[in-house]
Amino acid sequence: MKNPLDKWLSQPWNRARTLPFPRWVDHFVKVLGLVAVAGGGYVTMLVAYGASPKTLAVGYAPEQPVPYSHKLHVGELGLDCRYCHTSVEETAKANIPPTSTCMNCHSMIRKESPLLAPVRESFASGQPVEWVRVHSVADYAYFNHSAHVTRGVGCVSCHGRIDTMDVVYQTQPLSMSWCVDCHRHPERSLRPASEVTNMTWQPPNGQDPYEFGKSYAEQHSINPPTDCSTCHR
Amino acid sequence: MPTIPGWVKSLLIALVLLSFVPLALIARARVSTSPDPRIHIVHDMDHQEKFRPQEENALFADGRAMRLPVAGTIARGELQADDHLYRGTVPGTNNKEWARKLPPSVTVDEELLARGQERYAIHCAPCHGLAGHGDGPVHRRALQLVNQKKPGMAWQAPKNLHSDPELILSSATAKKPAGYVYHVITNGFNNMNGYKAQISVEDRWAIVAYVAALQRSQGAPQ
Ligand code: HEC
Ligand code: HEC
Ligand code: HEC
Ligand code: HEC
Ligand code: HEC
Repeated sequence: MKNPLDKWLSQPWNRARTLPFPRWVDHFVKVLGLVAVAGGGYVTMLVAYGASPKTLAVGYAPEQPVPYSHKLHVGELGLDCRYCHTSVEETAKANIPPTSTCMNCHSMIRKESPLLAPVRESFASGQPVEWVRVHSVADYAYFNHSAHVTRGVGCVSCHGRIDTMDVVYQTQPLSMSWCVDCHRHPERSLRPASEVTNMTWQPPNGQDPYEFGKSYAEQHSINPPTDCSTCHR
Repeated sequence: MPTIPGWVKSLLIALVLLSFVPLALIARARVSTSPDPRIHIVHDMDHQEKFRPQEENALFADGRAMRLPVAGTIARGELQADDHLYRGTVPGTNNKEWARKLPPSVTVDEELLARGQERYAIHCAPCHGLAGHGDGPVHRRALQLVNQKKPGMAWQAPKNLHSDPELILSSATAKKPAGYVYHVITNGFNNMNGYKAQISVEDRWAIVAYVAALQRSQGAPQ
């Protein structure tokens, strides 16, 4: 069978014509539709995958003015989160500790360490150490630590294994779908309120975490609201 | 039909390969951490012109958006006139005599002791040890550093809460009774800094009650 283009070109009045494209371009014309669909799909997928908070927000680990390590202080020395983040159970905000908290120990331990120079300066001058914020939800959304921590959601559910991090990084997207997913099914991440700072807690007697969470939610009537006004007030 | 020239084929293969580069970059960004500022595509009202707790405000000399109370002022309800509750001393003695008992507004019950145990484990146990023998994990680490002759160590062993007869809270003649322990938690002693910024007044008394319970568990008289 003759190509329609060849047919057209073989017409006498077309003999003198030259084609604007080389003939091998015809091979591509046949797959043009396929390429357009596949390419469009690929680009859409790239944008969705790339712009998701799981890509853009997770893994943020800003450099801090002092190389403070949770791995050392929590993982090795066994300090409880509430030793430093004292307000986490009472208020919406988990405070970053003041310099004086560090000086409880560092007025005696490694007093000359150059790494701790900003801490000593801050203690002497009263100027705060300028820690860089890691986690941040949008300013129009309302988050409250005490509402979670006193109801049995562990730090590890939202901040990951802080006790293994030399530099704190964000492990969860903190997006609205992430919040609402858990508010719909809190069972997977509940534990006794006394264990919230425990990074490796497991339900007693090898119980399934989901079963434990389910009965715990029932006993304590834990029912996280999902109406918009909970978080947008 | 003429075949596709070689250079076009190579170009096409290169293009297809290149188109996978963004995918690979995104996949890498997903599994690695980075100190670079987050890419924030749509700002909406994510960052509003308001100050949240502990944020920076260049308007003030110390850069803090949160302000301290004006020096020399006392907020309503924070006069802290009760010497026994707030300073651990017997009222009317001009803060000279340590109170032997917990303040009347604090009831000793199981709840208070449980709270005391929890707070003791958070704030005291790192140095004084879970059982109060002065052998907490921070003390053990500091001893190692001292033994390795690391520079800048001015470590002093934390107090063993059971060995000093003057500190046995249940003894009627203790020179360092409940009010004194409260005072040390609040204002510190020797190398130990005060914990008044970290522990609330009620929790400090709960810890005092728990320390008394600890001492009894180690054979102190009733
Ligand atoms: C010795 C004090 C101390 C202890 C104990 C401690 N932290 Fe921190 N934490 C800090 C300091 C200082 C920072 C700020 C510097 C940084 O981000 O690394 C911080 C930062 C954080 C952040 C990031 C805050 C932000 O900017 O978003 C999280 C989350 C956090 N801590 C969780 C925990 C958890 C969970 C525990 C208990 C397992 C814990 N911390 C124990 C001192 C402490
Ligand atoms: C309960 C005691 C304690 C507290 C509170 C504490 N640290 Fe430490 N820190 C230690 C000990 C012990 C070491 C030494 C560990 C070692 O070198 O083996 C240390 C080591 C460090 C180091 C490494 C120093 C060096 O030269 O290697 C830094 C930096 C540091 N701490 C920062 C901080 C900051 C910032 C805070 C306040 C948020 C803080 N620490 C609070 C006990 C403490
Ligand atoms: C339900 C999830 C969740 C739990 C549980 C949780 N956090 Fe957070 N945390 C967040 C979110 C979300 C932010 C960011 C808050 C913001 O931007 O206002 C945050 C921020 C922080 C910060 C930075 C200061 C601040 O408040 O903005 C610290 C420190 C912190 N968390 C520590 C802790 C500790 C310690 C615990 C456990 C006792 C804990 N968090 C439990 C979700 C959680
Ligand atoms: C891991 C599970 C989990 C995640 C993630 C989570 N929450 Fe919650 N949230 C809970 C639970 C459980 C409660 C307590 C419900 C109760 O007391 O019955 C709660 C309660 C709250 C409350 C208080 C509701 C009230 O009126 O008592 C607010 C506000 C809230 N969450 C906001 C958020 C926001 C904003 C996020 C995301 C940044 C978030 N939560 C993420 C589990 C979660
Ligand atoms: C559990 C908490 C929670 C609940 C319930 C909730 N939101 Fe949100 N919402 C958030 C958080 C957190 C963000 C910020 C997400 C971010 O920073 O990526 C948000 C963001 C948004 C945005 C802005 C999205 C954007 O990127 O521009 C809209 C619109 C919104 N929410 C609408 C709603 C509506 C409508 C409802 C009720 C059906 C609702 N939300 C319920 C937590 C919640």
